[in-house]
Amino acid sequence: MAKKTIPPMILLILGLIIAIGSTSFLGPCIHQDGSFGTCHWAGRMLLGLGGLMSVLALLAVVLPECKPGLYVGISAVAVLGMIAPGALIPLCAMDTMRCRMLMKPAMTILCGLVFLVSTICAIAEKRKKKAP
Amino acid sequence: MKEKNYILYSLLRRPVRSVSLILLTAFLSFSVFAGSVISVSLESGLKSLGARMGADIIVLPSSAESKTSFKNLLLQGTTGAFYMSGDTLERVKEVEGIEVATPQTFLASLKADCCSVKIQVIGIDPDTDFIMKPWIDESCSQELGDMEVAVGCRVTADVNETLRIYDENCRVIAKLAETGTGLDTAVYCTLSTMNRLLRAAEEKGVTHKITTEGEEMISAVYVRVKDGADIEQVNSRINGHVRKVTAVRMRSMLTGVSDTLSGVSHTITLLIGAVWILALVILLIAYSMMIHERKREFAVLRVAGASRRTMRSIILKEAALCGAAGGALGVIIAATCVFSFTKLIETKLGLPYLSPDAGRVILFALATLLISSLVSALASVWAAGKLSKTDPGIALREGG
Repeated sequence: MAKKTIPPMILLILGLIIAIGSTSFLGPCIHQDGSFGTCHWAGRMLLGLGGLMSVLALLAVVLPECKPGLYVGISAVAVLGMIAPGALIPLCAMDTMRCRMLMKPAMTILCGLVFLVSTICAIAEKRKKKAP
Repeated sequence: MKEKNYILYSLLRRPVRSVSLILLTAFLSFSVFAGSVISVSLESGLKSLGARMGADIIVLPSSAESKTSFKNLLLQGTTGAFYMSGDTLERVKEVEGIEVATPQTFLASLKADCCSVKIQVIGIDPDTDFIMKPWIDESCSQELGDMEVAVGCRVTADVNETLRIYDENCRVIAKLAETGTGLDTAVYCTLSTMNRLLRAAEEKGVTHKITTEGEEMISAVYVRVKDGADIEQVNSRINGHVRKVTAVRMRSMLTGVSDTLSGVSHTITLLIGAVWILALVILLIAYSMMIHERKREFAVLRVAGASRRTMRSIILKEAALCGAAGGALGVIIAATCVFSFTKLIETKLGLPYLSPDAGRVILFALATLLISSLVSALASVWAAGKLSKTDPGIALREGG
């Protein structure tokens, strides 16, 4: 039982890191005058996506029979998380800005990791169901 | 069972042990790969900067004498807002021992909001320039014309696009190769274009503490001395003969940066060395314990007819396989971190940083993989030798 909850727990932790990180230590540019650019909205989107990943991962723990579908859902959210900063929502133009220097690469790596784990889990669950 | 199959079976049967060994080697290869790439990038950055700063002496106005100005100018190629009269160039040229002297004018970063690119505009004299021109020529055969600019690789404008600087339209004719310094975020134009931009900046109310009316302003004069002339003497002559300027030898400045750089490289090398010694000791202990734990298993294999040589081969191959897997994992993690956070590393180090090309990166990765496999195999040699000397009968009687 404990072993089965390890992958969703990993996804839950990664989702929380994305959600918390996007508003704090991995967040977008901070302006002294209180204004913000579009990177702020990219951070907000990542907060939402990280939260969604965590909720889906938590559901995978509570509803084990729905695991394959939940893992596929997490993978899709992770892809969205990878393309959101930069491709879907533009960031600051200068590459020395915090959003380009820290937030984008960190979120790409974290979402990539989520995608990798959830895809492997989805394939494993599918194989498990196929086995007699 | 074939030897190859037995090795794979043995590794998969004890996943915790195998994963622990793989993670340990991954940590090793991470330190080697990341350390090597960062060291090489710093060296390339300095070389690139040296090539860009091909002058013997740089003459700046006395007002720019603060250490930060010099350091920034050299380390990051970041220019400042300091100006002197255009006549200074003629006075510098009069000094004995000078082969060529070329002026440059800097326009301080544009006052832009966060989402606009802050850029440095550097005005050069295409007729006398020997600093920027070779670099510009690498990317463009065309001469810089009026209201035409060449841009550094990090400026978000492409060739034939129009760059708006202080409401003046400038056509981009070339995008320059990367240097790993602040020069990559600069825009290069002729002195006449620069004077127009300075006037436009003043009209927009941006004060640069200069007057452009009737007088040409310059920020620096780059000097190359004649062959055989003593650079130090020429430097002293400029400082003695030309008023309100400071002449600095480029070599002495580069040596200072080189010293800082070698300090950083030495620290990285020391850290890698320490990690390797520590990991080698841990691997030695791990393999020794692992062999001790599997004494009975190997004794059964010996009784079943496996030779001492086969035993040694199994242990060495198992170790090499774990080493290769760990090495690959370490390289992947290191490459992901180092290349994703290149700009962050560059900014935090505050030194010129130019990432190596793909060929060199692949070479480093292969070397790291080889080293990881060899070190793992080497760490297991002692344990394998000890095992081959153990009598299988005694090992089976001892239990385990």
